[in-house]
Amino acid sequence: MSAAGFFEADGRRLSRGGIMLLMAPFFALILFAFLYPLLSLISISFLEPAPTLDNYQRVFENPVYARVLMRTLRIAVLVTLLSLALSFPVALAMAHARGPKAVFLAACVLLPFWSSVLVRTAAWAVLLQRNGLINQGLQAIGLTSEPLRLLYTQGAVVIAMTHVLMPFMVLPIYGALRNIPPDYGRAAAICGAGPLRAFWEVTLPIAMPGVIGGSILVFLTALGFFITPALLGSPQEMMIATLISQQMREILDWPFAAALVGVLTLFVTAVTLAFSRVFRFDRMMGGHT
Amino acid sequence: MNARTLLLNAYVYAVLAFILVPILIILPMAFSETQYLTFPPQGFTLRWFEEFFNNRRWMDATWFSLRIAALTAVSTAIIGTMATYALVRGAGSLGTIFQALLIGPIVVPHIALAVALYLFFQQSGLSGTTIGYVLAHTIIALPFTVFTVSAALSSVDPALEDAAMSCGATRFTAFRLITLPIILPNVISGALFAFIISFDEPVIAFFLAGIRDKTLPRMMFDDIEQNLTPVIPAIAVLLTVLSISVLLGAAILRRIAARNAVTVDT
Amino acid sequence: MAVEAAPQSRGASIEIEHLDKYFGAVRAVDDVSLSIAAGEFIALLGPSGSGKSTILMSLAGFERPTGGRILIDGQDCTYLPPYKRNIGMVFQHYTLFPHLSVMDNVAFPLKMRGISKAERRRQAEAALETVRLAGYGQRMPKQLSGGQQQRVALARAIVYRPRVLLMDEPLSALDKNLREEMQLEIKRLHSELGLTVVFVTHDQSEALTMADRIAILKSGRLQQVSPARELYERPSNLFTASFIGEMNMLPAEWDGRTASLPGGGVMEVGAKSMIDPVGPGKSVLAIRPERLSIAAPDSAGSWPATVCDVIYAGAGTLVIAEMPGGTEVRVRLPSNAVGSLSRGEAIGLTCPPDAALLYSAEQAT
Repeated sequence: MSAAGFFEADGRRLSRGGIMLLMAPFFALILFAFLYPLLSLISISFLEPAPTLDNYQRVFENPVYARVLMRTLRIAVLVTLLSLALSFPVALAMAHARGPKAVFLAACVLLPFWSSVLVRTAAWAVLLQRNGLINQGLQAIGLTSEPLRLLYTQGAVVIAMTHVLMPFMVLPIYGALRNIPPDYGRAAAICGAGPLRAFWEVTLPIAMPGVIGGSILVFLTALGFFITPALLGSPQEMMIATLISQQMREILDWPFAAALVGVLTLFVTAVTLAFSRVFRFDRMMGGHT
Repeated sequence: MNARTLLLNAYVYAVLAFILVPILIILPMAFSETQYLTFPPQGFTLRWFEEFFNNRRWMDATWFSLRIAALTAVSTAIIGTMATYALVRGAGSLGTIFQALLIGPIVVPHIALAVALYLFFQQSGLSGTTIGYVLAHTIIALPFTVFTVSAALSSVDPALEDAAMSCGATRFTAFRLITLPIILPNVISGALFAFIISFDEPVIAFFLAGIRDKTLPRMMFDDIEQNLTPVIPAIAVLLTVLSISVLLGAAILRRIAARNAVTVDT
Repeated sequence: MAVEAAPQSRGASIEIEHLDKYFGAVRAVDDVSLSIAAGEFIALLGPSGSGKSTILMSLAGFERPTGGRILIDGQDCTYLPPYKRNIGMVFQHYTLFPHLSVMDNVAFPLKMRGISKAERRRQAEAALETVRLAGYGQRMPKQLSGGQQQRVALARAIVYRPRVLLMDEPLSALDKNLREEMQLEIKRLHSELGLTVVFVTHDQSEALTMADRIAILKSGRLQQVSPARELYERPSNLFTASFIGEMNMLPAEWDGRTASLPGGGVMEVGAKSMIDPVGPGKSVLAIRPERLSIAAPDSAGSWPATVCDVIYAGAGTLVIAEMPGGTEVRVRLPSNAVGSLSRGEAIGLTCPPDAALLYSAEQAT
């Protein structure tokens, strides 16, 4: 085959060599700056100080760390459920809206995507501080006589994380729901289904792939979330990301930090593989099909 | 409108308020005369913007972040477009591996990648370098760029390249003169996406940064953690202006793309 | 000034020799050999999956044949990449470059050939004039109708005066009126420019009206290559006979001299009525519906039948009759030649001896 024919070895399709050449930078990057660093970090957890599983034993058997894991799971589940409860009606309204209302809703949902995570976290710090707006409001309506301690609590972390992660829930659900033609509701009504029944039998099953995809994405992201718990959470109530940071930067216990990264990464990978059928990236972005 | 829809609407608007209030409430605080953040803001001053623009450390961090973000945008657009082109033009099993690997940077927590890269960069002498940041940010931004580009590429009729080749163009010329101009708006909006992701990336920057190579998000993190001055709202105002202009730019590009889109009626 | 057509034939001859193309285990093209003369207009006709498009794509260089050779003017270009073949091509869906103006679209092949800008412009304008779109150069493809877009695609394919023009169902996306107009347009271009045209279609009337010769394909195999009239009047096998136009297929017993139909009808068959020699035994008598006529029942030399249906369609009338044994026969008559026929009526069918063709029945399977 001539060099000129490199890109058209089999007619209209690209040749194997051409495809490899085009994908080479991607694979090189992923190998060099993603897979290799992650795997070599995780290998430390098994090899240092000597070939051992001690680091993992510590993660699961030391009650302090076990509690961190449980707390992380609990917060992630809570954030996922809260996001779902807040997102579903919004996604439904987006799917039904037409014209300017549709644009307005989409803009509201997408706005957080385009504003800094740090700025939003700072905003919550301001809202939740001792003399912040929320405490002022609570006092004004007489629910409490003196300011509550809201900042540096698990509640603050859950609320702020929900705020940050919610758009990742709305978009996939909206993506699934917008494929429902408006006739569905009417068809269901003709078939004798009341509005609740129609929702249960028609809307919900159609939304399900979006709900599952969005939930997994929010859950996985919440598990490894760092910024919000680091800035709004209490140092006594760490999540796994803040624990990793502490072990690595303050205690300098690399093998143990590596084991924590290993636990987190393996868990996340397992969940992704288990749901690989429904967890599709193009859906996460609100695309069709 | 019956009671049920009314209730649903009320709920939806309450959720929207939950989304919007924290984002909007911080902006006016940038103009407050107080040393700490408070709402409602008191008085009016541009002092915090001055503080930002006249402070060498803020400025250095901003320029550093802008440089990283620009390089990330370019590298992501090039690597992403190459791979996506191969994917859409029939990569077979290699494409399946590609798509599986692409999910990686989305689901693997940034904290895990950050710690891994911290170690790796120390071993390989990349710590504190621009290229280290660009590598890391390209990894996390790539999936989003690939998604944007593949949406455009899969709507381009592959017969257009055939037509160009029958006119005497090589495959590469056909791509350069026909396919690329058609998908360019999406490539650029994918690059803008990557720019924003890099510019706003706090976690990896938190772990990679030494004393001299702090990115803007890292500086913001320190400020929020330590004393939370009104410089943060001032930056929020600037970022909002930046985001809105980028968003508008991207929307205009998408409109151009839609106008050029080819409809294949089969 | 239109594209200056040289008076002598400018077309190239094409030799397709034992072409094979496999897609995995599927044999899309099966040992196809075809000689196309310089300046000829040839149509590749067949049902979908017959391999006609694969042959065209191999000619264009978009498919690499598994076996065989393709010679254009004697030069072997079986594995030559498309951009080195100097072939003009018109695609099914126009495939105009959406981001380029009509002028830039038409000038694209000239640009690829390194022709200067002024010259590109001049030649592109001439080509647009040839397809009767002078003055449309500054428009974008989207601003044109489907027919106009296809004319631009045509202009782009002929602008650098290729000696071969390939067309892949170029009219299938157009509505009926436009299609007929474009058929004439393409014929005119062909005779004006004298280039060799290979035209893929699944529309037999399009193939019959346009092409000098028609190549019939079925499951990757070439069935027959003939001018329209021969194809219609002397189809070389049962597939072609049934694929082109309407044909009555009457099962018959052939003894070497006469063919006997079920129900007692008998026909003497001469050597002229056989494309290939047919051995005695079961055979098929193929007769066009318009070649049959209706006579009184039991009249001399006629075959007995019963009227099943009479369908009046303006100028012509279709009579559907049944022969003893259940074989359905269609007869097309000018409406004024049909007397009063009613369902269930007994009739006789007659057929001139040169109207029937005899095929061996084994072919049918």
